[in-house]
Amino acid sequence: MIDINNITLSYGDKPVLQDFALNFESNRLSCLLGGSGCGKTTILRLIAGIETPEKGTIVIDNKIVTKDGQILIPPHKRNIGFIFQDLALWPHFTVYKNIAFGLIERKEKNIKETVLKMLDFFGIQEQAEKYPHQLSGGQKQLVAISRSLVLKPKILLMDEPLANLDVKLKRKILEHIRNLKQSRTLGIDLTIIYVTHDHKEAFAIADKVVVMDEGKIEETGTVEQIKKSENRFVQYFLEY
Amino acid sequence: MGRKLTNHPLYTIVFLSFVLFVVIPVAYTLGTALFTDGSFGTNIQLLNLDTFSLLAKSCIIAFFIALLSTFFGTILGFMLYKTNIKFRNIFKILLLIPLFISPYILAVAWKDFFFIFFNDTNLISSYIGVILVLTTIFTPLSMIITGSALSNIDAQLEESGFMITSFRMVILKIMLPLIKPALITSFVLVFIFSISEFSVPAFFGVKLFTTEIFTQFSAFYNHSLAILQSGLLIVICILLLFTEKQNIADAPFLSIGSKGTDNKLYNTKNRNILSLLFMFGWLSISVVFPFIILFVQSFKNGASRFIQAFELLLPTFANSIGLAFSAALIIVFIGFIAAYYSAYQSGTKTIKSFDWLLLIVFAIPSTILGISLIKFYNQPGLDIIYSSYAIILIALAGKFSFISSKLIGNAIRQIPNSLDEAAQIEGISSFTRLRKILIPLILPALFAAFIISFIFSLGELGTTIMVYPPGTEIMPIKVFTIMANAPQSLTSSMTLIVFSVTLLIISGFYFLMKPLIKNYGFAND
Amino acid sequence: MKNICLKITFLILLIMTGCSDNTNEVVVYTSFVEIFSEPFLKDFEKESGIAVKAVYDTEETKSTGVLNRLIAEKDNPQCDVFWSGDPVRTIVLKNKGITSVYQSPAANDIDPVFKDPEYHWTGFSARARVLIYNKTLLEQTDIPRSIFDLAKKQYKGKVAIANPLFGTTTFHIAALFTVLGDEKAKQFLSDLKNNDVVIATSNGDVKKRVIKGEVACGLTDTDDAFEALKEGADIGVVFLDQQEIGSLIMPNTVCLIKNSPHTVNGKKLIDYLLSIETEAELAKSCAQMPLHKGVKTPAGIPSLDDIIPMKIDYDKTSQKLEEIQNYLKEWAEN
Repeated sequence: MIDINNITLSYGDKPVLQDFALNFESNRLSCLLGGSGCGKTTILRLIAGIETPEKGTIVIDNKIVTKDGQILIPPHKRNIGFIFQDLALWPHFTVYKNIAFGLIERKEKNIKETVLKMLDFFGIQEQAEKYPHQLSGGQKQLVAISRSLVLKPKILLMDEPLANLDVKLKRKILEHIRNLKQSRTLGIDLTIIYVTHDHKEAFAIADKVVVMDEGKIEETGTVEQIKKSENRFVQYFLEY
Repeated sequence: MGRKLTNHPLYTIVFLSFVLFVVIPVAYTLGTALFTDGSFGTNIQLLNLDTFSLLAKSCIIAFFIALLSTFFGTILGFMLYKTNIKFRNIFKILLLIPLFISPYILAVAWKDFFFIFFNDTNLISSYIGVILVLTTIFTPLSMIITGSALSNIDAQLEESGFMITSFRMVILKIMLPLIKPALITSFVLVFIFSISEFSVPAFFGVKLFTTEIFTQFSAFYNHSLAILQSGLLIVICILLLFTEKQNIADAPFLSIGSKGTDNKLYNTKNRNILSLLFMFGWLSISVVFPFIILFVQSFKNGASRFIQAFELLLPTFANSIGLAFSAALIIVFIGFIAAYYSAYQSGTKTIKSFDWLLLIVFAIPSTILGISLIKFYNQPGLDIIYSSYAIILIALAGKFSFISSKLIGNAIRQIPNSLDEAAQIEGISSFTRLRKILIPLILPALFAAFIISFIFSLGELGTTIMVYPPGTEIMPIKVFTIMANAPQSLTSSMTLIVFSVTLLIISGFYFLMKPLIKNYGFAND
Repeated sequence: MKNICLKITFLILLIMTGCSDNTNEVVVYTSFVEIFSEPFLKDFEKESGIAVKAVYDTEETKSTGVLNRLIAEKDNPQCDVFWSGDPVRTIVLKNKGITSVYQSPAANDIDPVFKDPEYHWTGFSARARVLIYNKTLLEQTDIPRSIFDLAKKQYKGKVAIANPLFGTTTFHIAALFTVLGDEKAKQFLSDLKNNDVVIATSNGDVKKRVIKGEVACGLTDTDDAFEALKEGADIGVVFLDQQEIGSLIMPNTVCLIKNSPHTVNGKKLIDYLLSIETEAELAKSCAQMPLHKGVKTPAGIPSLDDIIPMKIDYDKTSQKLEEIQNYLKEWAEN
């Protein structure tokens, strides 16, 4: 589904990824797990097409989307959703407009119906006319997820979206995310890549976990496999 | 992201137009003035020790003005933006007034003040006077710069400081270091403004570098020496800006917050009266005293002078306001394009050079900019520009686009990239992203840039008087040419009228724009 | 965005076409006081049907604007007529090759002393250099009668003159140099300096200082003096050195610009300004002394018949002026 081949990328003089390779299977929820600065967010940005590598290719659905410093297919033609760490809700739009904006610009039909259905699914229909700064942290989270899903992406990239939430809310939203995969109510098949530094979060939802450190993969596998890993870094990382 | 310029047609057009209309004329004139007839060789010898000691003296004066303005500006900024002192919103507006008034007028008012109350003007007609008057004028600028930086500090940073140490130490060791970029920006800008200020030292009869350049221009008509001397001034300004470019670029000066960090307000408590006294004291010195003098002078012989002043200025209003309005639109447009590409396409060489060109033209003294434009545009084929308002618009755009691009650039930098990227992923075209996401978000900054450009354009004298088309009536020129031989009452009346008109128009704009800005519901206050 | 671009372009075009080309016009640059010069230009416009386009500047800032503009425009002049409040600036322009020859019939009976020998400029309506004094600060008996009195001890720190680098004051000093010779003139200037003379920014500033009593007396021009009297200031006016070298007379001057775009109209404007009627009006509005013979002047305005003028050649004095500029700069600044 998504193949990352021999990617090299640096910020200024600082190399982030070197000859990095990784692939994700479709309709699975994969977690990229690692400490800050390990390159996990960069991988999401590369897949999305808002970061250009110096070398290497990225293939989505057998199509080369990025090759050696060139974006061959721009972000919006990749059929992806991206949930940013800061959520990036447009502060000057209402909740409704935040979700509808992409649909309007794509000149879709039945926009209102689609948006309301999405709001309903996440139980935030009452917030429709509010502005982002009037929402609680969890509600913002749900708006950001709705905004991405409403465009029916095949891939959903999530960059530590739950970092600042309390445990209860986190659980509720993780539940939502897990349901999403199987959800037919929204009529989408989803490949989710979820970036986090919190192994509990990862273990709660992941089909597959990739543990990273300093731009390198330390271990990949199912939750069970990771838990039993012999890798020193993985063991150390899971202790905390 | 070294994409080619052809990928940004709009940017390319604006950049090339700026180069063509402003930079080439200036480069052409400076080049010919300095290097023809071997005048460079003769004039460079005239740059002797005296010139440099005078330059040093000017630097010292500007240094003190910048230091004092930043010092008082920070105190005022702290009180108005970080405490719940009474009447703070009124103070915030009133204290800005000196920025709107021609420095010359304030110098006149101050001198009269000293004469009326102390019967002696020697004290004010000196370096001290120059420092005093310019400090009162530039302190409000520092106040906005440091004030907005202070209100952008994350409250948690201060609160975690209180866990460890006293209020005083939190201010000294946490807050001031955090706003260091703003302090430096304030210092550098005030330094540049004051070292190139001419009217105040000229009025007080104090010999400084700008008055020396003026002498070369108007007593000796030695253009190339004057240009050479201005060159020194430009170099100093650029060096200063260059050494601190990083800080200035990052300083959220004059930013109208959209990030919505929590601003913590302190209770002035037992220092309440003391703080209010300080506020009123400063307000009196910088605004009330000069205004009392202006009022007394305007009306001491009844209202007839005031009416006469109004009649004299009446024919200039439509012209000047129309011009300033068009100029402000152009300046904001150029500033926005420059800032937008500089923020989003950083690293491209041409884009960096646009920043530099804006800066260099900004640092050129008015008279030299005027002469450059005349020499370049006064050609038979270019009459459509030279004999129309276009020449004034070019001059104003050259002078003030730097400030507008800085203002807008800082606002753009405050908008998280992810807001744009999120829309990019949704397939929103870059033009729509600009129109529906970025522009609405920086609308307050665009508006502020517009207002500031409008005020500056409305009051610009030095270059405008060199290039305005014969037979047109322009407000500051009218005030200036009449002021010289007119009775004090007429001059004061005209000042009051110009001030009121400016204030009226700005309020008009504000009320027109207010619903637009408020609608987005994230305005900070 | 395109829309905005279009709108702005449209706006600019609108502004440009707003000042449409009108060939029946004349362009005049003037450093003579705007309040007084404007009415004449308006009247000329009405009488002749020729549109007058004016650029104003002031002597207060040494006419930097118009003069530097005329110099910068030399290769493609936009201006037809330059009306200066004094001869200095027209002579500067002449020396830079910016003026052209015009012998106006309207000035036939004006004394040749007030005209350029080659007719590059013509003088009219003159001011004189005078001393004004504050009546409360100086007793009748203490009033200086000669410019040399100003260097006397009794006036130490009590006299103001404008910066001698600029305007009529420079010309006054240059005139002293031609009349007295360099040595005597320099001696006088250093005596003045030692007597703590106050250097004001302009003649207007001298006037203000005397009125307010910051100094007891000062050198200025007749128009400033009479303006002050009109405002009711408690000052007196003295023509100095009437027994000896005389008072300096400073005529307004007008000149035609070389290769000017509307030469014919320019000459008409010059004739108009040099007319008896203009001089009579200028005497009324701002106390200028007519140079034509037999012009009626209002009471209180001095006439050239009653004053002993300093006998100088204006062209030579201007040359002297350029010679002594560096000396004056040194003198004023140290």
